[in-house]
Amino acid sequence: MLIADALLQGILMGLLFALVALGLTVIFGVMDIVNFAHGEFLMIGMYSVYWTNFFFHVDPLIALPVSAVIGVLLGLASYYWFIKYLLRGPAIAQLFGTFGLMLFLQYSAMFLFSADYRMIDKGLLVGKSLSVGPFIFDWTKLAAGILSLIAFAVVYYFLNRTRIGKALQATALNKEAASYMGIRTDRMNALAWAIGGGTVGIAGGLLVNFYYAYPMVGILFVMIAFACVALGGFGSINGVFFAGLLVGILEMVFPVFGHLIGSDFLGPHFKFTVVYLAYFIIVVVRPQGLFGWKN
Amino acid sequence: MEKLKDALNFSDFSKAERIGLIIFSVFLLVFPVLGTGSFAKTVMIQFLLFSLFGMGWNTIGGYGGQVELGKAQYVGIGAYTVALMMVWWKAPFWISMPIGILIAVGYSFIIGYPLFRLKGHYFAIATICTSLVLKDIFDNWNLVGAAKGIELPIHDHPDFLYMQFKSDTYYYYFIMALFYIGLFYMNWFRKSKLGYQLRMIKDDEDAAESLGIDIRWCKIKAYSIASAFVAVGGGFMAVYNLYIDPASTMELSLSIKIALMAMLGGAASLWGPIIGAAFLVPLDRFLGSWLGGHKGLSGIDFMIYSALIMVVSAYQPRGIWGIIEQFRKRGH
Repeated sequence: MLIADALLQGILMGLLFALVALGLTVIFGVMDIVNFAHGEFLMIGMYSVYWTNFFFHVDPLIALPVSAVIGVLLGLASYYWFIKYLLRGPAIAQLFGTFGLMLFLQYSAMFLFSADYRMIDKGLLVGKSLSVGPFIFDWTKLAAGILSLIAFAVVYYFLNRTRIGKALQATALNKEAASYMGIRTDRMNALAWAIGGGTVGIAGGLLVNFYYAYPMVGILFVMIAFACVALGGFGSINGVFFAGLLVGILEMVFPVFGHLIGSDFLGPHFKFTVVYLAYFIIVVVRPQGLFGWKN
Repeated sequence: MEKLKDALNFSDFSKAERIGLIIFSVFLLVFPVLGTGSFAKTVMIQFLLFSLFGMGWNTIGGYGGQVELGKAQYVGIGAYTVALMMVWWKAPFWISMPIGILIAVGYSFIIGYPLFRLKGHYFAIATICTSLVLKDIFDNWNLVGAAKGIELPIHDHPDFLYMQFKSDTYYYYFIMALFYIGLFYMNWFRKSKLGYQLRMIKDDEDAAESLGIDIRWCKIKAYSIASAFVAVGGGFMAVYNLYIDPASTMELSLSIKIALMAMLGGAASLWGPIIGAAFLVPLDRFLGSWLGGHKGLSGIDFMIYSALIMVVSAYQPRGIWGIIEQFRKRGH
């Protein structure tokens, strides 16, 4: 029973993780750049909903478009004002560059909003729960899971069914060939950052309903997202969805499993250690991910 | 003997660089007797310590070109070995530090073996992962003090065996000695076979492999050298601070600082890590004490810090030393 409950909770978290990791994998696929600042985009998504709720008393769910728009703008701004210049340098500079961006956003948030933990305490769904048979779901998590799924589906449709989305995928597969077909790489890069920022912004807006927003929240989620991206195969969009679900389930089921066998070493303190270990083992044993895509 | 000669031989540097090194050395030597305050002394100790860390990182990260972001775990291993052996068995520093180095090197081989199957981004993230896993374990391991950390027993009298002194001056000269050992080692290292192999690997891995270089083994060796350097610094941190916890020795931000200083100063150059540390440590400390002290200004020091990183990585990935060399070339 405990396991089944953890499984369902894990799936809901997993859907959110998949949405967080989606942007990372799209950016990686198109540009071969790992965006360390991705978690900070999430953090800014969280804060944007939090402050909209705080100042304008808008329900966190209705404020969701705000976080999406801010996410898109943030993605575009980072690309045009910063990432573009990194592309000229070697790979090591790109890694450090996005790392610098990550620190910059973290400490800007610290400077502007202080290190306080902030959580939304009033809202349509906040604090309410739904019981279905023996299971109890928080409405906030349920909404987060379902809306993440919808957002993921929309992006998936966009990437696979529209002309622009297909152009983006073409660039991801072969930049040069795509540019010969008249697809402008620069535009596609910017689009990837816009999608990345937008989706992670929405994810942040959903997350803040049941998780604290604080300046350093990003690092935890970016590590989870890295694990999902590695598990799904860097750049793979189908892969990242299932990987997100799997990581979500792992993260929920593991502590329960530890609790059942009475071991402290599998306790809740270590639930993210499991994620880090999972990343390490996956990339070492199966670098192409469970559902390999490129190469 | 030949190696020692190589290590002390700076003749392939320009005259300006050699004169700079001599002036710098004289300055380091007389610094404590200049009658400077204790704050300046702690800053200098931090500077020498981080130069040492940076030099270590430079082997694998600079010459080898591998983005290594998990050095903090070896700081932790060095610091914890010294601290725990002192608390449990009253082991002198001079015994526990070499053991700390051995553990760090052994651990680096175990981790390095799977780690160096990876390249580029995969590698960088994996190094972060290994470091965070170790931190999580130490954070929850009651035997080693968990997140509370451990305090080292304080002796009544200054004791050379346990490296406990009343005055910072002794610590200063000790870390300075370590700094010079590191510097001479690095001077030898950059001219050694492994040094050349690493630069070859950095430039073109396929070409290096076709020349019969065992890429993975080279990287593992460089990685373990880097780990040894960092573990020495960790051991020093334990006796100097007399208190360690996972947050101060294994935090991700420490790993990043180490890599950044070397990178900002100029990776793959002998002076790079020193310049980077000379630039960032005072900046960090002064910004921290001036701005961080004011209420509502917390974080602004790191904002300036990270903005610098962004500018450098976008415009001059070779760091401050790269800028200097660029000017020098233009001068000729």
